[in-house]
Amino acid sequence: MTTPRRAERSAGWSRRGLLAAAWFFFLLPRPARSMPAAARFVDDLGRRVLAVLGDRSLDRAARLERLTKILDEATDLALVARLVLGRYWREASEAQRREFVDLFRRLLLKTMSDRLDSYGGETYEILGARAVDERDTMVFTRILRPQGEPIAVDWRVRDLGGRFVLVDVVAEGVSMVVTQRSEAAEIVGRSGIDGLLAEMRRRLAQSS
Amino acid sequence: MSKNKGPRFRPALAGVLSAALLAAVPVGAEEVHDPLEPINRTIYGLNELFDVMLLGPVAQTYGELPRPLRTGVRNVLDNLRSPVTFVNDLLQGEFDRAGVTFARMFINSTIGIFGLFDLASEFGYPPHEEDFGQTLAVWGVGEGPFLMLPLLGPSTVRDAAGLVVDRAAFDPLARLGDTDIGAARAIGETIDTRHRLDPVIRDLRRNSLDPYAAVRSAYLQRRAAEIRNRRPPAGERGYEAIFREEGDDDDAAAR
Repeated sequence: MTTPRRAERSAGWSRRGLLAAAWFFFLLPRPARSMPAAARFVDDLGRRVLAVLGDRSLDRAARLERLTKILDEATDLALVARLVLGRYWREASEAQRREFVDLFRRLLLKTMSDRLDSYGGETYEILGARAVDERDTMVFTRILRPQGEPIAVDWRVRDLGGRFVLVDVVAEGVSMVVTQRSEAAEIVGRSGIDGLLAEMRRRLAQSS
Repeated sequence: MSKNKGPRFRPALAGVLSAALLAAVPVGAEEVHDPLEPINRTIYGLNELFDVMLLGPVAQTYGELPRPLRTGVRNVLDNLRSPVTFVNDLLQGEFDRAGVTFARMFINSTIGIFGLFDLASEFGYPPHEEDFGQTLAVWGVGEGPFLMLPLLGPSTVRDAAGLVVDRAAFDPLARLGDTDIGAARAIGETIDTRHRLDPVIRDLRRNSLDPYAAVRSAYLQRRAAEIRNRRPPAGERGYEAIFREEGDDDDAAAR
């Protein structure tokens, strides 16, 4: 008579134990392995960028150099450049394509360099991820600012057979690729691909 | 239209583009409907001139005021906007959101001391903004041609019409007639918005290949996001097409 009761009690305990364990896991900060791979990729990227930005021992040049390395690893800029040029990519000659990709990269680095000094202790939070097709996943994040409202930023990540690359950044609903594509189309429509390349060179020259 | 999972934060950055507060073309739509482009570009140029000469410097000065003061100003301005948001929540059939807006209005206008303190957010009623341009979009009205408005910035025909309705019909301040309060509010809104857009504007001037095209594109995308009540563009046909289309000539055209 006592045995079943004890069994019952122990079953009760183990059930409670399970529940407690479940709660415990639920309350744990989301472990990296519960994230989809694409989100883990973005998280890893975020950590590395914050590590560089937060490292006081680095001077500006060293910081920029490291960020450039991270950027080159985390993106396929030739691919993004192609997306930005859109249908004009097909019309471009081999030489024009090569120059466009090169200028695109340099302009992006210049923009990054411009923004470097405006870093003021922002951190981020990964909110979730959603696969949009066989190879692309949107990873949703929030940039938390020490002052001011958080900013919603979505990252479009492409799976190139095991290697992830960023293909777009969407800040508060505004996509970098869509915006730059619209600019490129406007200029090409007005003055051709060579006109676009000239404008890009002009922009680059302005900075220094 | 907006079956969000849980309440979504709508950073008052929404207010940031409050001049830019109105448009629903599928994000990524290649062809932007801008038949008035030459005129729009001229107005854009004049707006830029005004900004460089007056608005920008004023906003800069404003930015040097103590932060709590600016937050208070922002809160008051947001609170003054909430009747318009409330009416448009209702017109869009968003009754839950209308309830939130009403609670915000009530809390912030009373214990928040005329909206100076956004206590409603602390109590779990986060802000959001709606306007009649968005309501028209929810009702199925297309955005029409893109417009660059003098002083007010990017808009569309639908959104400009919405702005007029909001101001004339839904805004309690407008009922008071053309008062100093109304003017002060408009000026405050302009300066505060400009101040918060400052990093974006700087970036645009320095790094954009065609700032006008960038502003236009960003405005239209932003409005589309507002109308979706901030769901991400992933899944939108126009947006997805960009990334798929490339896939087709990817193999053919790759290096």
